[in-house]
Amino acid sequence: MNSDIQQVTTFFNKKRFRLTVLILILGMAYVGASFGLGFQTQSLLGVQDGMIWLLKNFVPNATSNGYWSEILQQLYRTFLVAVTSTTCAAVVSLFLAILGAKTLTVSKALSWLIRGFSSLMRNIPIVAWAMILLFSFKQNDLTGFLALFFMTLGFLTRAFMETIEDFGTEKIQALQATGATYLQVIFQGLLPEVAVALLTWVLYMIENNVRDATLVGLLTGTGIGFIFNLYFKSLRYGAAGLVVLSVIILVVTVELISNLVGRLLA
Amino acid sequence: MLTVKHLAKSYDGEKKSLTDVSFSVRPGEVTVIIGPSGAGKTTILRSINQLIRDDDGEILFDSTDMRQLNRSQLRRARTRIGMIFQNYNLIEPLTAIENVLHGCLGTKSNLAGMFSIYSADEKQEALKLLEKVGLRDFAYQQCRNLSGGQEQRVGIARALMQHPKIILCDEPIASLDPKSTITVMDILRNLATAEGISVLINLHQVDIARHYADHVIGINNGQVVFDDATSALTDVAVTNIYRKDANQEGSLMYEL
Ligand SMILES: Nc1ncnc2c1ncn2[C@@H]1O[C@H](COP(=O)(O)OP(=O)(O)O)[C@@H](O)[C@H]1O
Ligand SMILES: [Mg+2]
Repeated sequence: MNSDIQQVTTFFNKKRFRLTVLILILGMAYVGASFGLGFQTQSLLGVQDGMIWLLKNFVPNATSNGYWSEILQQLYRTFLVAVTSTTCAAVVSLFLAILGAKTLTVSKALSWLIRGFSSLMRNIPIVAWAMILLFSFKQNDLTGFLALFFMTLGFLTRAFMETIEDFGTEKIQALQATGATYLQVIFQGLLPEVAVALLTWVLYMIENNVRDATLVGLLTGTGIGFIFNLYFKSLRYGAAGLVVLSVIILVVTVELISNLVGRLLA
Repeated sequence: MLTVKHLAKSYDGEKKSLTDVSFSVRPGEVTVIIGPSGAGKTTILRSINQLIRDDDGEILFDSTDMRQLNRSQLRRARTRIGMIFQNYNLIEPLTAIENVLHGCLGTKSNLAGMFSIYSADEKQEALKLLEKVGLRDFAYQQCRNLSGGQEQRVGIARALMQHPKIILCDEPIASLDPKSTITVMDILRNLATAEGISVLINLHQVDIARHYADHVIGINNGQVVFDDATSALTDVAVTNIYRKDANQEGSLMYEL
């Protein structure tokens, strides 16, 4: 009895020790990184002044209200780019994910190829995608579309693949046992089971891409990102603040709609 | 009708899950396979319709060897072998009738099956089968809203939609309450008696086996240790089927 208690105590002590070591390592990593970057922790104290400056200058005023129509127009374009790139990527991803999922793949080599491809697509930062594509496609909406498309393709392929693998082999086999073909199993079994989960991922990605589209636009000189840059560089801070506000409103709206749709589906 | 000869299977190439299993199943009979957990019951059942590729032996279903068939031949052979599972394996978001109609996918063209294009006769039959298992009123309910016993009955209707000569049942009542157990077992028993369908059931409840089976096969450690009429299943025989061999792993679980 006593030795049991001893054992539990040792267990918790060990666990606590490991946590302490982890925190120490993280602390050391921070110190090391700040040193390497020449980053001064005191300068964080200046953040407050910066914030006050931001608030004074970026709060939209009466004159900036004149920019609403231009902003809304660009916002709409950015939104469209985000939605179309996500939905296009989703269609291709579904196809890749089915062929890549271990439970449904037609060959192991193909599965690994798709895994590698999706990992590559997803791990190139969106900014890098935009810069690379700028060379070939110049400054237009297509560049932004493609940058978002490739990144989303990588992400959704992976997410879809995991969802599909969760579907499990037993139900696949139950349909195969009736004599159903590969495509019949996918259409009659897999898709009905995973549709809601996949749609949730797509909605999440639309939200995410509305945000990213702003950033991409800044680089590719299109959409809402472009006019933010324009107003900012021409010192029209109020208007730039309005752009930020409009993006926040859009993102929150998309999030609310996606939550609502998610709840209706469940 | 179904004859299994010298069936062998190893999953990892080392440990043998089945060694030289032979038995046969007669039409219109309920044959029950009993044995401890890990004995190889599931492996036998899944080898019959080749969901598992076994290593050696013969599986004669209507005198063709299931093991020698190519893809499309296997698909055709599978259409006459129904299967039900412990976890039902229905497509949960679909309705009962849609799941029952899955039973005829094997006889349809690829496209018709993919897009649920069923004939009036097929729909009629699906409804009739739901009626038969007592679920006519639940035809348009999503299966995720059904109880375990109801789901298993949908599973049976799906198997019947195949016009099967034999139905394979892998622990069909292991997740069910006593009342649903009786309902499901009565349905299976009746399929054999009244329609001449062979029913092959993996079970671990000996009392149920005694009550419903015509014939019992005892499996222990991948081998057939009992193969006789139910009346011959004495307590001594049961003890022998569930015995723990010296060369078996100590972790073997008893499910008696
Ligand atoms: N997919 C698998 N991979 C590896 N070993 C397996 C697999 N399925 C079953 N086995 C092994 O084969 C043996 C027989 O299993 P199984 O046929 O499931 O027994 P039962 O259905 O009688 O409980 C067990 O020892 C089990 O560990
Ligand atoms: Mg089993």
